[in-house]
Amino acid sequence: MGKVLALVRANWLTAASYRFNLFVSLVSLIAMVIPVYFVAGALQPVMAKSIAGQGGEYFGFLLVGITTLMFLTTAVTSLPAALGSSVASGTFEALLGTRARLSEIVAGMVGYAFIWTTVRAFLLFAVGWMLGAPLVGEQSPAALLILGMIVLAYFPFGLFAAAGVLAFKTSGSLPAAVLTVSGLLGGVYYPTQVIPSWLQDLSAVIPLTYGLRALRAVVLEGGALSASAPDLAVLAGFIVLLFASSLYVFTRAVRHAKHAGTLAQY
Amino acid sequence: MSVVAAGAHTVPPEAPTAAAGEAIRLSQLTKRFAIRRGWGAALRRPLLRQWAPALEDITCTIAEGEFFGLLGPNGAGKTTLFKVLATLVLPDGGSAAVGGYDVVRQARRVRSILAPVITDERSLYWRLTARENLELYARLQDLPGETAPRRVSELLATVGLADAGRKLVGAFSSGMKQRLLIARALVARPRILLLDEPTRSLDPLSARAFRAFLREEISGRQGCTVLLATHNTEEALELCGRVAVLHRGRLLAVGAAADLIRQVGKERYRLWTRSPVLGSLAALEREGVVHQIATQPDAEGWARVDMDVAGGLEGAARVMDALSRAGASVGRFESVPRSLADLIEGIIERKRGSLDG
Repeated sequence: MGKVLALVRANWLTAASYRFNLFVSLVSLIAMVIPVYFVAGALQPVMAKSIAGQGGEYFGFLLVGITTLMFLTTAVTSLPAALGSSVASGTFEALLGTRARLSEIVAGMVGYAFIWTTVRAFLLFAVGWMLGAPLVGEQSPAALLILGMIVLAYFPFGLFAAAGVLAFKTSGSLPAAVLTVSGLLGGVYYPTQVIPSWLQDLSAVIPLTYGLRALRAVVLEGGALSASAPDLAVLAGFIVLLFASSLYVFTRAVRHAKHAGTLAQY
Repeated sequence: MSVVAAGAHTVPPEAPTAAAGEAIRLSQLTKRFAIRRGWGAALRRPLLRQWAPALEDITCTIAEGEFFGLLGPNGAGKTTLFKVLATLVLPDGGSAAVGGYDVVRQARRVRSILAPVITDERSLYWRLTARENLELYARLQDLPGETAPRRVSELLATVGLADAGRKLVGAFSSGMKQRLLIARALVARPRILLLDEPTRSLDPLSARAFRAFLREEISGRQGCTVLLATHNTEEALELCGRVAVLHRGRLLAVGAAADLIRQVGKERYRLWTRSPVLGSLAALEREGVVHQIATQPDAEGWARVDMDVAGGLEGAARVMDALSRAGASVGRFESVPRSLADLIEGIIERKRGSLDG
């Protein structure tokens, strides 16, 4: 754990040295919430019926969706991005030459990105709460658990993309495709029941569909975790399946790069 | 299930298997890389793979505490060999053991005693200070939290960066970054240090200071086994007790640096003269004492004559005698370091000769 924290600290110090970037990142978040608030208010009469089972209030619905999408983006893109830049700079090779395990290096590479996303998510929720979003604060532990499960279900896509970076020097369009499909069909901006029926079949194989439904039930409806057990069971299935396959692919990619001698090439 | 013969000792899988005093053992080590083909060739025969050998049957042993040079031109296989030892590249055949630990099966053990100096400056965290960089690697190398700051201070002083510890690495000169890269590799007090062309980006003065630092501090005081890869013959001869000459993935020769030059049989000499000496030298050339004579006049009437002289000091004395008998005006007669190309050519010639013989 000490090694992971040391890498997280190094990444934090690097990020903190770009002060203007940090400032813009936070200000832009606040600037984004305001228009979302007004647009949600305007669309409330149209959306009220379709989101009745998920809080019934469109601003809160959007807030949960957008926050989750932020975590999703971090889960899918942070590792391939960090790996790509550290392979290109030679840092990855230097890290692999130490006593740290590969799992510790990977966790250390993405740890800061997740912490920063959490900070931004708290800020987003705080601004949303001040604007009147109906968030149920007592359900925070359950919400964090579900959010953690969503991240775990999507981090494997980051591992697949990182495997692509190691084996083929590109993650291709995998991260963009995963985020686009999940964003459009996973219920981020609208409930999945409003999309055409043939597309609804597709949303059934997207982990986010189950995760967001459970999260909104807990955060916006104040429902018990047990009430979302069926959705969480499916999400857990995705986690097991995706993690097992992505870990296999990633370790194979590392081995391939060590065989091909391309670990430090980008 | 494994069966152990009665009376035999079971050896823990993590136990080293090196002979005493042995730092590195390479046994028929082989590595090849796939050749990247053009689109046309790949489309015509998609399943065909072509390979380029990077290391072929390398067998060699390096003793603990030795300063060992790996001499070879670009593409000789030096960096590949280092990466195999640093567990960053997997070999295709043969074996490599570091401190008795196998580089494939016991990679973490190998990394606990060996440190590669990654000479790419970009591999440092440029937005962090020198101290923060070293503190990070101290944690990654399992140094206890309470001893890490002291070790970092020690290292900064050792590499002459004590006053620059709080400065951002991005503001460092190339020489300072190279020293920090060395300090980073030394954090965990490795027994074996791999240096891949460490003076490549240094100016001549910094390079000389750096070589002195390697010899006195790293090899002398710290007692590290050092493997130095270089294509600078002079550097290898100055620093290394023994050198191995690698060419196109093959180990051409291993031995004490001075012996290697002697075995190749010819030394390069340079003569500064104002007299016509080619006639005298031609006679010696016919006798096989001098070879490869090259002359170059300069503006002030002196001519520079370079030649290979066989037979060591005896051969040089014969050249001096001949020049003296001819009454040549000699300004200077000196031995000059052989270039890597000369050394490799000499070794190849010698090998060819022994095969023909």
